[in-house]
Amino acid sequence: MKKEPRAKMTAAAKNEARWAWAFVLPTILGLIILNFYPAIDTVIQSFQKTGDFGMGNKWVGLENYKNVLGAGETWQSLLNTIKYAIIEVPFGVCIALVLAVFLNKKLKGTSAFRTIFFLPMVCAPAAVAMVWKWLYNQQFGLLNNLFKTNIAWISDPNLAWISIGVIGVWSVIGYNMVLFISGLQEIPGDYYEAAAIDGATGVKQFFKITVPLLSPTTFFIVQTRLIGALTVFDLMFMVMDKTNIALQKTQSIVYLFYDYAFTKSNKGYGAAIVMVLVAFIMVVTFIMQRAEKKLVFYN
Amino acid sequence: MKRVLIAVLVLVMVLSMAACGGTETKPADGGNTGDFTINVNIWDSNQQKGLQEIADKWTESSGVKVKIEVVDWDNYWTLLSAGAQGGEMPDVFWTHSNTVQMYMENDLLLKLNDYVEKLGVDMSKYYDGIVKLYTRSDGNIYALPKDHDTIALLYNKAIFDQYGVEYPTDNWTWEDMYEAAKKITEDSNGTVYGMAMNTSNNQDGWYNLVYCYGGKVITDDHKGTTIGSAEGKAGMEMVRKLLTVGAPQTVVAETGTDSLFQSSKTAMITQGSWMINAFYTAENHADYAWALLPYADLNGNGSCEKEERWSAYNGLGWAASAKTAHPDECASLIAYFCSEEGQKLQAEKGVTMAGMMGVSDEFANAFPGMDVSAFTKAEEFSLYFRPYTRNTVAWEDPIQQAGGFLDAWQNPNDPAVMEKACDNAQAIIEAAIAAE
Repeated sequence: MKKEPRAKMTAAAKNEARWAWAFVLPTILGLIILNFYPAIDTVIQSFQKTGDFGMGNKWVGLENYKNVLGAGETWQSLLNTIKYAIIEVPFGVCIALVLAVFLNKKLKGTSAFRTIFFLPMVCAPAAVAMVWKWLYNQQFGLLNNLFKTNIAWISDPNLAWISIGVIGVWSVIGYNMVLFISGLQEIPGDYYEAAAIDGATGVKQFFKITVPLLSPTTFFIVQTRLIGALTVFDLMFMVMDKTNIALQKTQSIVYLFYDYAFTKSNKGYGAAIVMVLVAFIMVVTFIMQRAEKKLVFYN
Repeated sequence: MKRVLIAVLVLVMVLSMAACGGTETKPADGGNTGDFTINVNIWDSNQQKGLQEIADKWTESSGVKVKIEVVDWDNYWTLLSAGAQGGEMPDVFWTHSNTVQMYMENDLLLKLNDYVEKLGVDMSKYYDGIVKLYTRSDGNIYALPKDHDTIALLYNKAIFDQYGVEYPTDNWTWEDMYEAAKKITEDSNGTVYGMAMNTSNNQDGWYNLVYCYGGKVITDDHKGTTIGSAEGKAGMEMVRKLLTVGAPQTVVAETGTDSLFQSSKTAMITQGSWMINAFYTAENHADYAWALLPYADLNGNGSCEKEERWSAYNGLGWAASAKTAHPDECASLIAYFCSEEGQKLQAEKGVTMAGMMGVSDEFANAFPGMDVSAFTKAEEFSLYFRPYTRNTVAWEDPIQQAGGFLDAWQNPNDPAVMEKACDNAQAIIEAAIAAE
């Protein structure tokens, strides 16, 4: 069948299209100027030996990549970041899910508890990190005083990554919980009624109804939090002092990027570090998308 | 339930927007056209009040308002270099030996030669090392010396009394300091440390030992180092000894030597003159006292020769942005800060010692009840300018961290680790200079 030539737009349709463009233009401009241009510029810079203050950049081909991939600290930082994600994502998701199930029940004071659990989300990350830094302090910290211990929570290289991860979990629980609650409210109550009549216990209902029907929400949270965890920076930056011996074992890859690009003013090298991270996140996302087809249940 | 959440979210968003707006919409006083304010950025909040008073004096004669804003050290440089790229730098700001070379070479600072001539500034009155630092190789001047600083030993008399140790004297060697620190740490079973030093205490800490023992962190031509030489290693060996009786690395990295001192957890630290005010206004300031930095008795005659006691000195510079809209006013403000009157005021008010020679005497009297003459007395011995190269940060941070001296700090009982760290530091500095 011959395709009809596209009908000419009417005046009204043209007018509508014009307005549509006018409405989306600010967002498009913002994206181009604030997101796309810097992203492309980063790719270009990763192939350059950058001069002071962005002037006099020289093309050096793959040299930055050679140095970045050949440096032990790149891989160490990537490993640190993965370790952080391994703590933050599973714990952040599981605890938030359990909390969400409880707070979705019709109990007294649920809204107060929801607000309390959501509060960490409202606090500035830098302030959160500063408070935790003092809680963890070996000399004067509340934790050591409370438990009468003398543990170097954030300067013992074997422990510091867990301590940092705990802060991360604490910060995201509230956000994950809110998403889970909205997911839970989409599940029809009939399923639970039917299950209860058939004699299913609360725990059984949770695993047979809640978990599978919530899987789209879970998948969304896991994917966004995974990317969030892989780009973590502020926690390490605020909590770890530059001369902390555990810094090498905790600094994330974005921290390493910050150190090179802004402290040592080697923007080209920093850009190459970021490109490694981008490649890594792409691989992770690809695997996640594959997993989605197998694990996520859409009804 | 949903409504509550939405209400919370909306509240948060509104609040955060209000917070953003708050910084931007400060009512501009005076609606006349041509009314402007010179924006000044500094990194030391201790100096803000005094400098604002001096700037207000300048405002009296010029009629131009000055607003001094404090940005902490780490963020200061991030902001300034971002401003240098984006074109939005403060009008007038401090420069520092760590980074000034790059700013001068890229013509980001206002050239002050004409103003120096026009306003009759006599460059020979200032400390030579500071003038040299802010003069480019082609003779252009990009900043005027704001101040100079020296280093002294700070101790807590109450702790010395408690453990029956005699106070530090001006004739102390680093070995004497070691013995005193050892006694305090051992007698208190480690609840109080005899001394505390972090690898980041370089200018006010371990650099001075390297120079006392004859080493040089950066050689005079700014093209090399002798930290890995026998002299450099001797200095760092003394540092290592001190660390064995001082606060461990895990402690100083979490709490900071200043906080440890102010909470009476350590008896001695070394500090620079720019920090006096912080200790002068501290809660237990009556217990605090300053002494000359110890020396290294290299020839063993029991007295201190000029070249056996070294203190770092550094001087900040007042510079203006090359792109400022008001270059004349900026230069005039800088010239006033650095004039004899401005410099004397600065010393009198106890802000810092002067960048101009011979006008700092008043500084010793600026803190009634606290003797700070150790800082001016240090000038009778040897001074070295704070080590710098073209891109100081490229080696300064790495030698402090793991792979540099941090390994030895962490494990001070093993002399071999410190010796290895000196070799590493030598290699790190040489590689960084080669990359400049």
